[in-house]
Amino acid sequence: MPDKPSDLVQGTLDMLILKTLALESMHGYGIAVRLEQMSKGVFRLNAGSLFVAFQRLQRAGLIRGEWKSTENSRRAKYYVLTDQGRKRLTSETREWGRQVAAIARILEAS
Amino acid sequence: MGKAGGGDRQNLGGVVGTMSLLRNIAVGLRSLFRKEQERQELDEELTGFLEMAAEEKMNQGMTRKDALRAVRLERGNLEVSKEEVRSSGWESFVETSWQDLRLAARMLRKSPGFTAVAVLTLALGIGANTTIFSLVNGVLLRPLPYRNPSRITMMWEKSRDGSPENVGYATYLDWKSQNKSFEEIAIYSSWQPVLQVGEPEQLSGLRVTSNYFRTLGIHPEIGRDFLPEEDVPNANKVVMLSHSLWQRKFNSDPNIVGKPINMNATQYIVAGVLPARYQSLMNQDPRGGAVEIWRVLGYDASQPWACRSCHHLVAIGRLRDSVAIPQASAEMDTISAALSKAYPKEYDDIGVILTPIREQLLGPASTPLYILLGAVSFVLLVACANLANLLLARATYREREVAVRTVLGATRGRIIRQLFVENCVLGLLGAAAGLIPAYWTPKVLASIGAGDLPRLDQVHLDWQVLLFTLGVALLTSIAAGLAPGYRLSKNDMHDSLREGMRASGSVASRRLRGLLIVSEVALSLTLLIGAGLLLRSLGRLLVVSPGFDPANVLSMQTSVLGQRFNDNAVVRQYFADVVERLRALPGVQSAAAASQIPLAGNMDKYGFHVEGKMHANPEEDPNAERYCITPGFLESMRIPLLRGRDISPADTATAPQVLLIGETTARRMWPGEDPIGKRVKLGGVDKPWWTVVGVTGDVHHFGLDADPDMQMYIPHQQWPFPDGLMVFVIRTASTPTAISSAAQEAIHSIDTTQPISRIMPLESYVGLSVQGRKFALILIGAFAAIALALSLVGIYGVTAYSVGQRTREIGIRIALGAQPGELLGLLLRQGMLLVACGVITGITASLVLTRFLATMLFDVQPTDGLTFVSVVLLLFAVSATACFLPARRVMRIDPMVALRYE
Repeated sequence: MPDKPSDLVQGTLDMLILKTLALESMHGYGIAVRLEQMSKGVFRLNAGSLFVAFQRLQRAGLIRGEWKSTENSRRAKYYVLTDQGRKRLTSETREWGRQVAAIARILEAS
Repeated sequence: MGKAGGGDRQNLGGVVGTMSLLRNIAVGLRSLFRKEQERQELDEELTGFLEMAAEEKMNQGMTRKDALRAVRLERGNLEVSKEEVRSSGWESFVETSWQDLRLAARMLRKSPGFTAVAVLTLALGIGANTTIFSLVNGVLLRPLPYRNPSRITMMWEKSRDGSPENVGYATYLDWKSQNKSFEEIAIYSSWQPVLQVGEPEQLSGLRVTSNYFRTLGIHPEIGRDFLPEEDVPNANKVVMLSHSLWQRKFNSDPNIVGKPINMNATQYIVAGVLPARYQSLMNQDPRGGAVEIWRVLGYDASQPWACRSCHHLVAIGRLRDSVAIPQASAEMDTISAALSKAYPKEYDDIGVILTPIREQLLGPASTPLYILLGAVSFVLLVACANLANLLLARATYREREVAVRTVLGATRGRIIRQLFVENCVLGLLGAAAGLIPAYWTPKVLASIGAGDLPRLDQVHLDWQVLLFTLGVALLTSIAAGLAPGYRLSKNDMHDSLREGMRASGSVASRRLRGLLIVSEVALSLTLLIGAGLLLRSLGRLLVVSPGFDPANVLSMQTSVLGQRFNDNAVVRQYFADVVERLRALPGVQSAAAASQIPLAGNMDKYGFHVEGKMHANPEEDPNAERYCITPGFLESMRIPLLRGRDISPADTATAPQVLLIGETTARRMWPGEDPIGKRVKLGGVDKPWWTVVGVTGDVHHFGLDADPDMQMYIPHQQWPFPDGLMVFVIRTASTPTAISSAAQEAIHSIDTTQPISRIMPLESYVGLSVQGRKFALILIGAFAAIALALSLVGIYGVTAYSVGQRTREIGIRIALGAQPGELLGLLLRQGMLLVACGVITGITASLVLTRFLATMLFDVQPTDGLTFVSVVLLLFAVSATACFLPARRVMRIDPMVALRYE
């Protein structure tokens, strides 16, 4: 199934979540919807994998969560990118670019 | 879950790369303790997530019910997601492990019979291994108490037959000044002073050069080291005390340094006290006790006993850091060659033998210890195989339980982990039980006579031993659980549930059980054969006659002490008087004294120069063991006189010098001739002649297993320097120890100041000389017994299991007319076939392995046929019984009951 996050290159889910949070803090569902929109429906995320990723990123100190109310006045946990998370996003993005370029060169060469 | 956790941790390593481990641990711990709150938060967050998704769908016009269903399909079920998130952190691993542990304890409590047998099996295997490991650890593995011990070597002259020999002082001086390989070279010789503090006590000591402690790398704890200016004649009256002597005799006096103490009627000054952790291992006499006092050697080259051929000093060197042993050896050989050229009459061969100190001190003990370690590992393997067998049998009964848990959602990994935890619990229980005997190891070993082993006092339970035990326990229980665990986890749950409680032993597991029995039998057989060979050796050895009759003889050692004994005549008279007093005691049949007695660990040899048969270089003449005796020694010892006459009181200092020789001496020196009346010189060629007047039987001086060497007996009255250290031998009518106090009083009635030591029946010396073999035999015998018992339990278990499994089949057969006797035969044949396979494997293994025992055998071939055959017969007999007992049950099977049995 191509819409499963396990088909993501390993570790890319974490990077995409960081990217989503770079602009503003968001709650879990918001992040899921944003990822789906940005990827034009290529990634469809189930709740389990998404929340495992949140827990992981929180423990690493890259994001932190705070309870707020939503525009529909529902209580939800909003995730915020920490300074460390921002730094990590920059370095990961650079690394990603480097790798993609390298892979592209290899593929073109053959 | 274990799998999921592992995958996520990998992910974590990907993006979150250098995440703070500490933070993770802190958060994990917090969630362990705030489990409820965390759970609620996650619950709320996830519910919110799914609600929001559903709301969006409802906004698009779905009903709430349809929306919720669609969300479940798209985003996953709430409970599953929760479980997924919860199980992703490491803390959940801790939590479930705790659950596993409790479950394991419950399961084991539920089947106490199985648990007891499994724990006992493990305890036997682990206990035996811990015991032997603590022995090996204490004796061999613990570092020697010297600075950088790998740099220290013993240095020996090479004798004509290539064996190592002590050095003379003049040679030492040349080695020391000419070599470039050694930082320091020191020498020592043994010294037995009598300490006159309180009750006079004979100590074991060494005379050492002033650089001795520097060479070993030991600093006194209090006081100072010896000084070079003290190491000269007439200035050598300073001593170093061991920590134990300082405590024992001087009440740990902190101001002991500089104080005078009296020994051998001479005043010595205490230079220092060595640290407690330093225990001397340089003891030439294994029965003399630990060295407790050191005095400077105080030689110079002008002294007559400092000559090159005065081989009575032991050299020890510390290599420079940059020099390897072969390099040093080459240099020393060059020096030796030059010395030999310069003094051709003083050396009988060229070369210096360097022995690393470790090899010198521990080498002789290491072979038997490593053999024991090998033997005991067999016990562990048998225990392991037995446990695996037990677990396999149990696995069959647990198939249904596992199937139910699988249906309820347990993954294969989770089930394997549960079994793994259960085995670890078993292993730890076994280790705890196995540590009980290990705690008493030193006492037990001492009581069965391991006294020959160096550093036995270093054997105790420490963290290394505990770590070893823990490792062995976990390894054993996990290894034993591999096959049953694998079998259970790939179990087809549908089959198991359908078949209900009926156990289904698959072909593969039956084969595995058979294989385990075969290996248990093979291992036990190998151990039994080893024990059998040792037993036969000991039997052969104990019938070897020592050459004297040790029964009813008491021995005690004394040495003369006091200024008045500077006169030789006084010494001679003193011993003659004491012997007279001893003879007069009631119950004493005969008494005598000798400078040494056989099997007591003494060594005293003199050059034996036969008239007309001397070598150009007298150093090449042979040596003979010298017994300086009072008349009546042969009678007291019951050493037979073969030819000529015994020495008598008439052989006084002024009479012609005479001696007795042993049978071997006569045969070697005068083959085909009558030795009576022949003349020899002893010690040096410039001495007067001695005339042979009698030939005695040989005695075993070094051990019952060592061939007697050349021996001679010299009248104490005639020896130019009458020995001051003598051993009395007193033959009594009944128990020799009964006259012990009367004998001591008799000695003290002549002089109350004389120290008496080593009061021991001669039979104890004979016992001591075989105790090393007994020690090995008792241990290997015990291991063989444990292994055999475990194997029998295994054979019994497998047969019983097989009968239980096949009750239905057997019932059908009986109903169809088979005789129970035939069926019994069938079961016995199956069981004994396994035993036979094990025996064949075991014999093959033994043929390969027993050669390692060769050094411990006496007069028995490692492939001794009688031993092999008797052990195999014994094994078949007991295995047949172990097989027959459970198999007998088929005789009582009622076909009607058996067919209903489900």
